[in-house]
Amino acid sequence: MNLPMTLRWLKPEFRKHGAAALVSNDSSMGIAPYDDVPVKPPSGYWRWGERRGDGISILIERRAVWVNSGLMIVLMLACIAYLSLGSVILDPRDVVQALAGQGDMMTGFMVQELRLPRLVAACLTGGAFALAGILMQTLARNRLATPGIIGIDNGATAFAVASVVGMSVSLAPSAMALTGAVTAAVLTFGLAAGSGTQGYRFIVAGIGVGAVFGAITQLLLARVAIDTANAAYPWTVGSLNARSGGSVQLLGIGLALGFVVALTLARSLTVLRFSEATASGLGINTSARRIQILLLSVALTALAVAVAGPVGMVGLIGPEIARALSTPRHVPVVAATLAGALVMVLSDLVGRTLLAPIELPVGIVTAIIGGPWLLWILMRPQRSHA
Amino acid sequence: MNDFRTPPTLATEALSMGYGARRVIDGLDVSLPSAKVTAIVGPNGCGKSTLLSGLARLHKPDVGSVLLDGKDIQRLPSRQLATQLALLPQEAVAPEGLTVTELIRFGRQPHQGWLRQWSAEDQRVVQHALLAAGLEDLADRPIDALSGGQRQRAWIAMTIAQQTPLLLLDEPTSALDLGHQIEVFELVRHLAGHGRTVVMVLHDLASACRYADHLIAMCDGKIVAQGAPDKVVTPELVRKLYQVECTLLTDPDTGSPLLANVRRTQQPA
Repeated sequence: MNLPMTLRWLKPEFRKHGAAALVSNDSSMGIAPYDDVPVKPPSGYWRWGERRGDGISILIERRAVWVNSGLMIVLMLACIAYLSLGSVILDPRDVVQALAGQGDMMTGFMVQELRLPRLVAACLTGGAFALAGILMQTLARNRLATPGIIGIDNGATAFAVASVVGMSVSLAPSAMALTGAVTAAVLTFGLAAGSGTQGYRFIVAGIGVGAVFGAITQLLLARVAIDTANAAYPWTVGSLNARSGGSVQLLGIGLALGFVVALTLARSLTVLRFSEATASGLGINTSARRIQILLLSVALTALAVAVAGPVGMVGLIGPEIARALSTPRHVPVVAATLAGALVMVLSDLVGRTLLAPIELPVGIVTAIIGGPWLLWILMRPQRSHA
Repeated sequence: MNDFRTPPTLATEALSMGYGARRVIDGLDVSLPSAKVTAIVGPNGCGKSTLLSGLARLHKPDVGSVLLDGKDIQRLPSRQLATQLALLPQEAVAPEGLTVTELIRFGRQPHQGWLRQWSAEDQRVVQHALLAAGLEDLADRPIDALSGGQRQRAWIAMTIAQQTPLLLLDEPTSALDLGHQIEVFELVRHLAGHGRTVVMVLHDLASACRYADHLIAMCDGKIVAQGAPDKVVTPELVRKLYQVECTLLTDPDTGSPLLANVRRTQQPA
């Protein structure tokens, strides 16, 4: 075999096999040490599939399994606590019984009719905000670029508030919120013209758009009767109190579909963390994927805003928790969704119980607790790989 | 010996590209020789990186087309293109915390799918790519903890793992010291020696003369010369490209042109 030159950093055993091994496309080249080696999963993964050969093979990241199950368990515990605590404190065992449809009527009523619907709303909105957040952050390659920060929450809120105060009954807050979210997204992208979703021009444009929509919301509230404004106010800072039943169901359907779509996008998301050129070189149809991710993120945000108002902080905290727990090998879509739901449930629990009987809107709690805590996450020394 | 027995051809036809109204390259007809190293050289802003991004389909042509085996690459599905053509962008950045092996595994992306996430082939190719780039001792080291040369080798290893017959490199050595540059160039020569078509944009004409089989010299969006370095590199060409004078020698060991006594062109008083 003629080597054009010897690669001096090659290991001797490799030189022996010849450089063909470097680029071989063809297993008949006789690269003995590798041909019949059973497949080992890459470190940190479980592999399911044939031991040899190129048939079906599926990789499961071990850390993700632990992180997701852990978050799931903590979320369950938080949910039980949420159902137990309140103006009347229930025994967790009675709560579990009531959930199964047993136990006494009063507990059953309190759990199933009063607390459970609100818990469901908290889980769904938290999950949706956080999922939308991690999608947008990955799209923009910037941890700051959550829908809450680039004005999409505020756009959705302004339109939804307009529907509430304008027509005195909330006609279709979900539809209005969706319109508002899309309007804000279009404006943000229009103003970031040409520079795409990367770079801070996009974020600055989004902050501007958010400010304008925030002002519009305030203006709308200032111009209506004080009672209407009072009724709408908690909702504008983010509250699970003013939700309408229909919008929760819509969010439930939307989140279920969105979650599945996000999972199918997960492989592309992982590659999209690289630069545009690298991702595209690796065979990702970047423009199509970006539009899908953007639409998904905007839709999830709008549906969640229609239920709870702008609790944008969750879109920032959920993904931060997920990333802090996960490896950098992938984008932790599932963990972010679970973490978002957890943050929302705990925040609303605190909001309901801390100053009872006064109720703190959940948006304020996430801001008070989430803000400093987020700062701590950002300021603490980076792990070797974080 | 040829690992890619019928390497696909890459060529452009009347290719014009630009940003908005500004034309950066204008009516280029280029054909890239198979299983050879082609270097695209020229002064800053001559459009050489734009040409490369056009070849890699990162940037859509205004007029004309890029042909892979005679077919317009704009019509190819992304994934299919990625099995034919790998790209190493300038100053590529990896997500924080990835290790060398994890980075290289991304090269398998176009060959993988939901039901084929880690095959025997993937394992073999990633292992080879590690060895090819001499990174086996650094396999589990985070990319952020590598030296510039090691990092660049890790990126090239990723493109090796992509197993494409065509490899496009945008200034692969621009941030490296001499020793690391030579490592990268020798690896590139080596890949071409086994049937890969390598196209790289280079700042440094001297390295291009030394390591390229084919030179494409560009100026103001047009090609001013193309061919084997010892045929096309002349003092006139160097003056035209960089506005410098030089004396041209022949490397006694390799026969490639050497630039000596490089100096500024005397401005007429």
